[in-house]
Amino acid sequence: MRRLNFLTGIIGGVLVAALFYVIARETLDQGSRTFVDTLTTLTGVGWVIGFWLGIGAFTGVGRWFIGKDQNHDDEMYLAGKDLGRARYWKYTTDHKVVGVQYVIVTMVLLAAGGILAMALRTELITPGAHFVNPQIYNAFISVHGMVMIIALIVAVAGPWANFVVPIMVGARDMAFPRLNALSLWTLVAAIPLLLGSLCVGGLSMGWVTQAPISEQAGPGMDLFALAIITFAVSTTVAGVNTICTVLTMRTKGMTLERLPIFVWSSIIAAGLGLYAFPFFLVVMALNIVDRTTGTSFFIASGGGTGWLQENLFWLMGHPEVYVILLPAVGALLEITTVFSRKPLFSYRTAVGGMAALAGLSVLVWAHHMFTTGWAPTLGGPFMLTTELISIPTGIVFLVILGTLWRGNIWMKLPMYWVFGFVFDFLIGGVTGIYLSDIPVDNQMHGTMFVVAHFHYVFVGSVLFGAIAALCFWFPKMTGRFLDEKLGKLSFWLTFVGVQVTFLSMFVSGLRGMPRRYASYAIIFEHTNFISTIGAYIIMAGMLVLLGAIIQSWRSGEPSGPNPWSSKTLEWLVPTPVPLENFEVLPVITSDPYTYGEELVNS
Amino acid sequence: MATSNENKKAIYSIFWIWLVITIVGVLISIKAPAWLMPTSASSTMHLVIETIVVFSVAAAPVAALVYAITLYALVKWRWRGDGVPPDGPNLRNNSTLTSVWIVSSTMLTIFLLIWGLAALAVDEGGGNGKNPMTVNVTGQQWAWSFTYPGTHVASNELYLPVNDKITFNVTSKDVVHGFWIVQMGVKVNANPGVSTSVSVTPNKIGTYDIRCTEICGLYHAYMVTRVHVLSDTAFAKWLSSQPSRA
Repeated sequence: MRRLNFLTGIIGGVLVAALFYVIARETLDQGSRTFVDTLTTLTGVGWVIGFWLGIGAFTGVGRWFIGKDQNHDDEMYLAGKDLGRARYWKYTTDHKVVGVQYVIVTMVLLAAGGILAMALRTELITPGAHFVNPQIYNAFISVHGMVMIIALIVAVAGPWANFVVPIMVGARDMAFPRLNALSLWTLVAAIPLLLGSLCVGGLSMGWVTQAPISEQAGPGMDLFALAIITFAVSTTVAGVNTICTVLTMRTKGMTLERLPIFVWSSIIAAGLGLYAFPFFLVVMALNIVDRTTGTSFFIASGGGTGWLQENLFWLMGHPEVYVILLPAVGALLEITTVFSRKPLFSYRTAVGGMAALAGLSVLVWAHHMFTTGWAPTLGGPFMLTTELISIPTGIVFLVILGTLWRGNIWMKLPMYWVFGFVFDFLIGGVTGIYLSDIPVDNQMHGTMFVVAHFHYVFVGSVLFGAIAALCFWFPKMTGRFLDEKLGKLSFWLTFVGVQVTFLSMFVSGLRGMPRRYASYAIIFEHTNFISTIGAYIIMAGMLVLLGAIIQSWRSGEPSGPNPWSSKTLEWLVPTPVPLENFEVLPVITSDPYTYGEELVNS
Repeated sequence: MATSNENKKAIYSIFWIWLVITIVGVLISIKAPAWLMPTSASSTMHLVIETIVVFSVAAAPVAALVYAITLYALVKWRWRGDGVPPDGPNLRNNSTLTSVWIVSSTMLTIFLLIWGLAALAVDEGGGNGKNPMTVNVTGQQWAWSFTYPGTHVASNELYLPVNDKITFNVTSKDVVHGFWIVQMGVKVNANPGVSTSVSVTPNKIGTYDIRCTEICGLYHAYMVTRVHVLSDTAFAKWLSSQPSRA
């Protein structure tokens, strides 16, 4: 049992997938209309089950079931004790190993999505469809969208809610260490399905998988949907784990009022995910059932309705935006206090603001459907809830600005990304207000304006937050600084690239260019050309960052345990953080934002 | 007191930065939308452009405040010494400021909401055109077709009389399409199995664009056509010149 690792996982996955493929091919009616879809789905299910078995996901449960529960040595081995680098390739339960694994997985996802983005922008550099044909273009936009959404959902919550949150609250590990490993490796299992959907083809539907175009799509759609179901399982497991850890594993004195703000943002986002992702799972499951068994949940001609699909999708789709955004905001606030050497401004307002964002975000989904023709009378109420979101969003700005106010701002690398975030998030936020207004949305829906708006939020804000978090916690994870020079070069390239790409994309949208067009009218030529150049600049920035990460990880300047003189618990343990984090669990007497208190007392 | 002095100094400088950014922002807000957006060919589109201007003007001072403070912080509060900076002042909260911030952002939101609802009410039904007329729109992969109830005419490009209130009944033969007349600010999805409707009053003679806005498969990007807005007499002439499809 101790020999199982990533490689045996892949072997197991391939073997069981092959087994399922053969059985399905031999037993199913090959003349049936649903044959190919059923075959693809079962093969994909086989891959996930085989991967789980092969990597040893159920070893612990299996041994418990046959009455041979794991002893202490087994548990220590499972946590990666004395395994060196091999532990990163195994079903390891140590939360810090899982955190590092999440960093790698996030980077793989961002790279895959980024390559697709470059292909899309290259296609759009000229008006006609020359570089890739429209069929491939449609497949690329579908997979680019979904890969990036998944990458950003895990970009902050994956690495840092795992690596730092347990230490921040004074715990020795997550509440459920095995589930922690399960969430990571389930996510890994989903990636080949998602990227594999490109290879089996027929993705014509975009990431929103709107019915009935998704019912028309080829077998790629089955793997695409299966990847999302797998991913929904992964995030649900991870979310439960984060919440339980914070609620039950806090050390003595770590009251809810003393939680670092990043911990608050993590559990609010995790809770919101627990609400949102079941919709994701259900909408994809119904889609697969429609495709493989001939039901018609979403097919109008069979008595179903595409509006049901759209409602279910956006019931997930809008909360998910805040599942993505909140951990990034939490990390940025944490960074702002440390590098301004000031307490977090208005702690309670910040927590309340994030909770309000989460609460409102479940009530706004139909603003994605203003132009669908579904329930026009609900337009007013959804416009109201959507515009209310700008109030808690304003609180985020108040807290950041209040924390910066009269601080001694230490312009280290993480702080660059914080200022970049403030600049971009304001643009992303203000353009969102236009889109909340129904008459304007009637004009802008489905255009490049919308694409530019949410890329300002996802790239300019969330990705900046994720990179800031990486720069900030990199010394704790690796014991080395992320190279400042390369890091700043990467910041400037990415920051300029984002403005060039997406400002001109706003103009494309204002002038009337719809999204998801492989080919466009000549009047959109200049703005698209500029956007493509900007995208290449972003790519250059990301490559520099990748170089900086690799170089610094191997031979960066050693940082010591607390290079930023921060006061949260993760910086007060040694680097590298020992297994089980603390020799003696600390007792907490105040929140970590005591900057300047000596000045007041003296 | 040193504290209030430092606050005053900062607020004074930030005010001037804010004023400059606000003025620039307001000027851009007034000019840019009309310059960047397509010609308006309906009162609905006119309202859309007007709304974008109003929202931009309302947002300009807020955005300017955020940028003014960050800019000032970057220059004035930046630590230029070596090593870890000393702690800043222990400002944990300022309940007056927090309340003012939340109340004013709420009031701004309410204003935007009232504007939006009023705009919807003013434009209810798509303008105040004279003679109501209906056009049936059908999307299919990858073309639009238009029929004119009461006649036997069908066309692949849309023809409309100017200043009449047109109601489109939109449906689809296969997958979801998005019916969008770019210069008129109207858009509604074409769903298979149901009919959705949207109204508009074209107020300018000319030729405009129709583009599909919901991904509908291989040739989504090519599902474009044109709309010709004609004078009443020209429209009647066009209608009578068409061969009956029946």
